[in-house]
Amino acid sequence: MNAQALAYFAAGIGAGLTIMGAAAGIGRLAAAAMEGIARQPAAAGDIRGAMIVAAGLIEGATFFSLIVAILLVLLK
Amino acid sequence: MIGQLLLQVAAEHAAEHAATTEHAAPGGHSPAEVLMHHVTDRVLYTVNVGSLHLPITKHLVFFITAAALVLLMARLALRSYQKGAVPKGLGAAVETIVLFIRDEIAEKNIGHDGRVFTPLLCSFFFFILIAALIGLMPFSATPTANISVTLGLAVVSFVAMQYAGIRNYGVIGHFKNLVPPGLPLFLLPIMIPVEILGIFTKPFALMVRLFANMLAGHMVITVLLMLIPIMASANALFGWVAIPISLGLALFIMLLELLVALIQAYIFTLLTAIFIGMFAHPAH
Repeated sequence: MNAQALAYFAAGIGAGLTIMGAAAGIGRLAAAAMEGIARQPAAAGDIRGAMIVAAGLIEGATFFSLIVAILLVLLK
Repeated sequence: MIGQLLLQVAAEHAAEHAATTEHAAPGGHSPAEVLMHHVTDRVLYTVNVGSLHLPITKHLVFFITAAALVLLMARLALRSYQKGAVPKGLGAAVETIVLFIRDEIAEKNIGHDGRVFTPLLCSFFFFILIAALIGLMPFSATPTANISVTLGLAVVSFVAMQYAGIRNYGVIGHFKNLVPPGLPLFLLPIMIPVEILGIFTKPFALMVRLFANMLAGHMVITVLLMLIPIMASANALFGWVAIPISLGLALFIMLLELLVALIQAYIFTLLTAIFIGMFAHPAH
């Protein structure tokens, strides 16, 4: 197979795996946050803040692998 | 002069748009090329000083604009403190954010002497926020979507972290603090390289996180808007149908970009404060 074609193929699979991991992680995070808010509505503000920060960190890791996938597509 | 440069950018942009919408399909300009053209940097003008050829690029122009806007905002906010008056309007808004950064971010994460770092953290927060926001205007670029800019921010962050540690413990003490005390000796060959690598990966992660978030947002907006010429190349009717869908999606992503701008500015500032605290007051 053509090397460029393989690169596109790999980038596609890489992006798919990346979003699987990110969605799973952030989904678990959101579930835990919902449960925490349900148990203690008074702490909703703190939990929301912590949730946003954690989501940002997980997305940061996601973007690392997304950059790898983009580089596969763009570099010859 | 900045106005002139902006007009030149707009003219170039309009000329290139006319060219690309004529080659509607992947024939003249492929979608990938148009996409990269929109999100990457372009040289606008080259300043020749002696034997130096300094290119002035689009991202540099907007970088300086963002920095100037931050300074302008600070000056205008200060003006409402004259004659000991209670600040209203812009001064009050800026004061709220600065107090939030001082109390919740600096003091909570760095400790009792955290207030010293408040100006640095405020600079990071306001610059990243304003840089992201001006990138949403038409014909503009987000300076932080350039990895060199985020590299600069990360280097400043790195220097602040090392300064915090060295100021409190001296150079030797700072590096001794990397490994926890009371560690079995056979673990040292593992811990030391890991911790030294950790000093560098923390700002590196900050850099890539901010860069990728800003770049990805703009790429998604550009791709969604490019659906219109791509659909139009297949069939003119598809093009017309694609317009409201594309615009709606692009608007939604722009709203999301506003949120992402705020969150990323906050995360960069918060993580810088946390890392400074880790070096200034190690828990062990």
